[in-house]
Order: sequence, then C-alpha cells, then structure tokens
Amino acid sequence: METKEPEQDRPFRDLVSQLAVVIRTSQLHNPANEAVVTAIEKMIPLINGLLEDESSIQVELVGEYFYVNENRVKFTMEHLLNFDFLQKEFAKRSVGSISFLCPVAVENIQNFLSVFIACQYAPDPYEALVAGLAQEKCIDPGVVRRISVDGEHDLRRAVKKTYFNAVSFTKGVMNKLKAGERVNIKKAKRIVESMVDLLLDREEFLLGMTAIKNYDEYTFHHSVNVSILSVALGQKIGLSKKDLMELGLAALFHDIGKTEIPPLILNKPTSFTDEEWNVLKGHPVHGVRMIFRMKSFDDSSIRAAIVAYEHHMHQDHSGYPGIKKLKDLDLYSRIVSLADQYDGMTSSRVYARVPMTPDKALSLMSKRAGVQLDPLLFKFFINLVGVYPIGSLIMLDTRELAVISGVNNGDFQRPKMILITDGEGNKITPVAASLTEKDGLGRYTRNVMRTLDPVKYKINIAEYLL
Amino acid sequence: MKAEPQPADIKAAQDVIASFQKARKSLRMYPSNNPIYVRTIEDVFRRLDNILEIGPLELGVRQNEILFGDTPVYAASGMEDNLAFFFFKDGLREISFKSGLTLEETREFLEAISQDSGMDEDIVTLLWEKDLEHIKYVIDENFLLEDETYETEAVLHAREETTPEEDLKRAHSEAFSSSTPMSAPEIVPLSSADFEELMREVRLDSADKLIKLISILFDILSDCQPALYPEVAGIIKSALEHSIRKGDLSSALGIFSAMDAVPPEGPVSDLLKKEMKKVQAHASSLELVKELGAHLDSGQIRDEEMLIDYVRRLDSSAIASLIAVLGDLKTMEARKTIMNALAFLGSKDLNALAKGLSDPRWYVVRNIIHIFRKMEDRRCVDFVIKASRHSDVRVRIEVIRALGELGGQGVIQTVRDALDDSEFSVRSSAARALGMLKTEPSRMILMQHMAGKDFMQADFNEKKEFFEVLSGWNSPESEAYMIKCLRAGSLFHKGRTDELKACAAYALGLMGAKNALPLLHKLRDSKNKTISDYAFNAIKRIEYGN
Repeated sequence: METKEPEQDRPFRDLVSQLAVVIRTSQLHNPANEAVVTAIEKMIPLINGLLEDESSIQVELVGEYFYVNENRVKFTMEHLLNFDFLQKEFAKRSVGSISFLCPVAVENIQNFLSVFIACQYAPDPYEALVAGLAQEKCIDPGVVRRISVDGEHDLRRAVKKTYFNAVSFTKGVMNKLKAGERVNIKKAKRIVESMVDLLLDREEFLLGMTAIKNYDEYTFHHSVNVSILSVALGQKIGLSKKDLMELGLAALFHDIGKTEIPPLILNKPTSFTDEEWNVLKGHPVHGVRMIFRMKSFDDSSIRAAIVAYEHHMHQDHSGYPGIKKLKDLDLYSRIVSLADQYDGMTSSRVYARVPMTPDKALSLMSKRAGVQLDPLLFKFFINLVGVYPIGSLIMLDTRELAVISGVNNGDFQRPKMILITDGEGNKITPVAASLTEKDGLGRYTRNVMRTLDPVKYKINIAEYLL
Repeated sequence: MKAEPQPADIKAAQDVIASFQKARKSLRMYPSNNPIYVRTIEDVFRRLDNILEIGPLELGVRQNEILFGDTPVYAASGMEDNLAFFFFKDGLREISFKSGLTLEETREFLEAISQDSGMDEDIVTLLWEKDLEHIKYVIDENFLLEDETYETEAVLHAREETTPEEDLKRAHSEAFSSSTPMSAPEIVPLSSADFEELMREVRLDSADKLIKLISILFDILSDCQPALYPEVAGIIKSALEHSIRKGDLSSALGIFSAMDAVPPEGPVSDLLKKEMKKVQAHASSLELVKELGAHLDSGQIRDEEMLIDYVRRLDSSAIASLIAVLGDLKTMEARKTIMNALAFLGSKDLNALAKGLSDPRWYVVRNIIHIFRKMEDRRCVDFVIKASRHSDVRVRIEVIRALGELGGQGVIQTVRDALDDSEFSVRSSAARALGMLKTEPSRMILMQHMAGKDFMQADFNEKKEFFEVLSGWNSPESEAYMIKCLRAGSLFHKGRTDELKACAAYALGLMGAKNALPLLHKLRDSKNKTISDYAFNAIKRIEYGN
C-alpha cells in the first residue's frame, strides 16, 4: 500500500492541506483568533513562495481532485481528511476555485475567511462570496468548472464502452476457466486500469452503470459491479492508484471460484439441500486455486486470493469458510464484502428474482454493520452511494417521479436525478435535474418523499441510465 | 514541434530514441547503484531536457516505426529488440514528453521500458502505475475489446423493455397513496475520528499479506480433499519461491512452521507429507538457493541466525545448490554465511558436502575443506585427505591446516608427505599441523624431517618456523636436539649451520630452557650477528620472561 509522493507536488499539496486547516480553524474561532492567525501564517509563505514563480495561484476543485495551477494534486492518506473537508466546503458554496492573484498578508486571508464562513448561510453562497470579496484584490473565487457537453458525452461513451467490455471480458475469463483454457490477465489489469481512471475522473458515471442489472448475465455484471463499487470505496478512503488497481482486480475475481461449482447448483432456483449448500460454500477455496491458475504469484494475486477466500467470511467470522485460527479480515476483503452484498441484494438473481431497492439494501446492511460488515467502511460506503443510490426510483414532493442518476459531492442527501413523470404521473421525456436546485427564496425546489420499488411497477431503470 | 519538424529537431528526436534503446540495454545489464546505470539515465534526461526546451516531444508509434510528426525517427523489423513493436503490441499509439520532465520521471520511464515483459504486465500497465506527470500516452482502446458486439447487444437488451405509461401511472398513484416510510439509513457525516481510525486500519493492513495467504493455504489443506493436495501444495511452493525472491525469510520460515503442523501419521497425512517434501525440495533447488545467495550478496538478508534456521529446514539436496552458489558469491559476508549454512547442513550428509571437493573452482574446494575443518568431526578426515594433492597450493595449505585441526592417526601420513611439498607454505603448514597434533609420533616425524639434508638447505624462515613448532612440545628430546644444534660446528656449510644455531636459540628461548643459558651466553658474543641477536633475545626471554 505504498503511495509515492513526488517532491515537486509537495508545495501544492501543502497549500491545499493548509487551506483546509485555515478554513476549519476559522469555523471554530474568529479570524482574529490566535489559532487562526497561526494557521494563516503557515499558509502565507506557501502562497507567496509559489507566487515568486507564477503570476497567480489557483486552487481548483475538478470532480474529486484538487488542482493547483492545472497540476493535479496527489494526496496521501494523511491528507485525506483535509482534502475531503475542503472538497465539501467548496461544494457547499458551489465554489470551483480560489485564486491568489498577488502576494497576501494575514489581513487578506482574514478578510477572505470572514466572507467564506458567512456566505454558506446565504441563499446563493457563491454569489455572496463573490460580492463579499469584491474589494479584495488578491483573492478571487471561481465557479465550478463544468465539463463541456461534448466532453461529457465522450466520457459517457467511454464509460459505457469500458463497462460492457469489462462484463464481456469477465464472461470470457469465466468461460475460459471452465474450459481449462489460459486467461490473459494483462487484459484484466488494463480493463481495471480503465475503470479506475474513469472513477477518478467522474466517479458517478461508472458508478451509475452498476445500477443496470442483467438477470441473464448476472454473474458477469455482478463481478464488474463489485469491482467498480470496491474501487469507488477504495478511492473514498484514499487508496493510491496502484492499490485501487489491485483492489479492482481482486474484486473482479472475487467469485471466480464459482466456475468450479456445477451449473445445476449455481443456477438452482429453489432452496439448496445441505449437500448443495456445502458445495456452493466451496467457491472461496476454489477461488484461491483459480486465481493462481490464471495469474502468476505476485503481490496482487496474493491479495486477490485472500479476497476470494474471505469475502463471505464476515467481520465476526460467522460466514464461510470456517477457519481454525481467527484472523482479522483483510481490508480489501471487507471492502469487497460490502460491495458484494450491496450489488447482490440490489440485483435480480436466480434464487432471489425480486431485487431489493437500494435504500432497503442499505438499511439491511446497516443492521449487519459491526456483525457481518465492517462498520467504519460501511459508513464510508453509505457516504459513497448516498442515501439514495444511483438507480433509486424516488417520489418527490412535487408529485413527480425520478430516477437517481448521480451524486452531488457537496451534499450526499441531495443527489442528481432524471425526472421521468410530471406531477400527474404522465410519462415525460427524461429531464436531468438536481435535488440541490433552489428557488429564488433559497428553498429547495424538490424534496424526496420516499423511494419506490421499480421492479414492482416494471420500471426499467436502464432505460433512463443508459 | 508537431508541424514540419526541422532537420535538427529530427536528429535530436532520433538521438533520444537511440538513447532509449541504449538505456534499455544498460538498465538490464547493471544494478541500479552502478555508475553506468546512473549515467545512462542522466544522459537520456539531458537529451530530453534539451529537446523539451523547444516544446513537447510527441512520438507516434507504428508497428515497426516511431514517428516524429510524420517523419520516422526509428525503424526496426522483427520483434526482438524492436522498440516500436514493444510499445505497439500493448496498444500504445502515441507517447509524449512534456516540459517540466524530471530526472526521477525519466528514471521511472526508462525502468519501465527496460523491464522484461512478465506474464501479467505490459508497458501500458507499468506506465499507468507510475502515473508520470510529464509523460503521457495514447492507447488504442480497441486493444482491450473482448467482443465487439457485446456493448451494442447489451444496451439494446437493457433498453428493450420500455416502461409502459400505465405502469408509471400506477406507480405514481400508488406511491402517493401509500404511507410506507423510508427505509434507508441516515447518512452520518464522516468525522475526524473516522478518518483517524481509517488511517490506523490502513496502516495495520499494510502488513505483509504473504503470511496470511500461507495460513489460508494450510487451512485449505487441512480441510480439502486429497485430490487437491498437489494443486494447493503447488501454490505453497510458489509462495515459498515468492518469499525467497523477495528476500523474505520470515515468510519462508512461516511456511516451514506450518508444514510442521501437518499430522505425523495416517494415510492422508502420508499423501500430504509427500507434497510437503516437494515444497522442501523446491526450497533446496539451485534456482532458489541462487536467489538466497543474491540477497546475501546485496545485503538484503543479514540475519544469519534466521538464515541458518531456514537452511535447517532444507533437505540434503540443498548442499549441492549451496556449493554451486558459494563459488558465485561476491562478498565475504555472504560466503561466510553460506559456509556456516553448509557446515550445518553438511554435517547431516558428509558425502554430499564432499562432492564439492570436485568443483573445478579451487576457491570452492578450499571453502569446502574449511567447512570440514570447522566441523571438528574426524569423519571428515578421509574426505579432506582426498584433496591433499590438489593442484592449487592454497587448497593444499587448507587441507593440511584442516588435518592438523581434525587430528587422529589417519592424518599423519598425509601431513608427513606434505613436509616434502614443493611449496614452502605447504611445508610450513604441515609443520604447524604436526605441532597441533602434538603427539610423540608427530614430534618424531618433525625431528626426522629437520635432521634431513633437505632441511639444511631450506630457507632461514622455514627453518625458524620448524624450530618454533618443535619448541611447542617443550620435551627433553626437543631441548636436547636444539642444544645439539647450538653446539654444532662445521667447516663446510658454515652459513647453514649458523642458521640452525640461530633458529635453535630462538626456539630454546620460546621454551624457556634454562639449561641452555650457558651456551646461549656464549653465543651472545658470536661474531655472527644473527646468532648473537637470537641468543640475546632467547636469554632475555628465559631470564626475564620477555
């Protein structure tokens, strides 16, 4: 789990981190307070030092990442808290960037902080911030940079291509393993790399694909979905790119042992006999064997084998396989268990044709947190998928129906959605909207009343998400 | 730099590519701390840095060509050592170097392109993992396509069931007439404590995973059908290999400890034990022992105690591997460690260790004899004697030393023969060996030799050494012989006789022979300065003990 820190990134990373410290401190104390001033004094040399070589310094939030003068700032675990905090503070105010246009003094920053803290309560925080800083010549806020429609379209296309290619690849791998053929693991790595890149770029797009379920191809979709959800959670907890790839690969192959289970058992629609259940419970062990059949022995195959073995073991070791000596579950196994349970519950499977709605699945998982599932990771997971995960069918207080299509990083309670009916329940041409939208008085335009079960009403979610 | 490149730019780009090729060879050939390795990277960096002053360097990749703009700056045919094909085969179609490129990034790039393509990695994955800020690449994504029609068909399938209007209506009316509450859990904002706990968890999780996998594999073995034993044992074998390749003896020892837990009896256990033997044999193979040697040489393995603990678990086939490796080691410390390991393992199978005496490398033979010598086991004598006629004098010296230390009746004849060796150092060692044996027969052999004509002709230092050895017995016979030497007079060979007198004076001094004092005082006044000096020193030693 090593994370490289190129030295040239250091001033940028330090600046972003210190900006978070300054803002957090000023939320507790007045900007004139000594603690705030000390934090400001630490930040000033960072800004002014960078300004010696650059005409201006812009700290910008694009998607999940901070950029300083167009350089993506790579952060490590110890900066995770600060980066996460600053991301939320920017998102709360719809601020895309803060630019430092000339060398700053303590007073400039104090002035900025007063406005920045106060504006969050305004109906339009960003406008309030701009207005409040109108006289401040050295500090300039900027709006959130939107990806162009063309760019977004291309990205969506790339997401779809990557997703279905991953599913098709997984299908190929499983079929080849069943036939005793060799598997090209290089390709698996490349596919996971593409998924990691897309998740780092615009998490919600690929995450959204996991809501598209396919009963006939469940096993393959499930493997890819678990991989996507795991990588997304890994990203949320600050794993490095290389670790995300390892995690994604391990997650993609977590059920690879099922290739050794007779189809008659695997596809049995009714309850298992004890004997059948015992056979099925062998898939984690087969998983370990399969991993080393298709992949040479290295650090990533070791992790993948551990995940394949442990993903049903449960946090309290109440699952299977039973082990002689209790060992803490691997971090990746705990992540994959969460993703596995969530995707499994929300999918239509041979032994559970009617899937759970995402909110019901989360609700059940919350009961399992601390017993079967890691409670801390579950907390991160729910912050990842939101209370209304992508693919949820919701009814709004405007009497419209909508499908959740993406998360809003600043406000997990208020995701993005696609309106599918009008207030009378008439089907409409789908319209993209967000639960963060407000009216002129600063009140939310739409609020969620509750979620609905799309399966019950034969509503094809994929129609709106693809 | 993309449009119409200038001839000078083309030349610079060609030079850069040529430097990449050169670097691939050097980086594969030398270890990373070698000056050539370091200089090669610096040279490539300088070239790139110069070219990047004008603008980014964008290179197109074709199957057998690398293009700068539209101009080929590299061409090759065939697949071997073809840089263009090396990139092309993995789907890489364009590679660009941006201004701001650092030496570190250049190193990482060169190391990636110099890596031998493994089974599981390609150049794109290597570059992706390195995530280099100033080196970008474009890939042909079609390379990844598994089934070109899958996406289209899957999308069609997903969309084919359009939601009927009446279902939406029904959903709408039921939704707003129902009072079922929301079932989703509340989102609890993440706190600093959550992040701190997470960091702690991640830190805890960073411990080596191999140990865990080993434990899993043995758990599987304890529960699975015997039919799976060979496959699981094969994975354990790979785990062992992996740990040794990484220089991780602790994990390797973990495997052996787990093997100890295999039940000692029963039909199932026999099958299992057979598989575990294979693992042990693999650990003893030349391939793995070579890895061990390389880690010892590089200093990565320093814990000799752990190494011996590991070697203790190997079977005797490891002896041949260790001997083979012994001759290739570069550092004294590594050789010493392997020799200690061989001493341990060899004591269980002297014949296997003795096979090393046939090694064509003289230093290996000497090391093996040294190991026998350190074993202090008289069973080794017969093996050591076999090397007594080795063509290399250094081996013969070690043989005689070993025989002297090992002792016993069996060594006498060989040591006696060595007194007549053509090399002084061997004869001298033989004398010392006899001194170590310190038996009456050995004294007699020594004295017989010293009484011979050839000894008279020997060099002064050789004589002195022999007398010194003889002094070690401190017996009346030795003393008498030496006093006789002091008295000796000769009209012929006066010089040789004087040498004998000086050596005898020296030896009597060492013995503290008070009886010799009158004679020594006489010789103190000898005109021969050597005799006079040696007599004076002997007197001092006898009378004052210094």
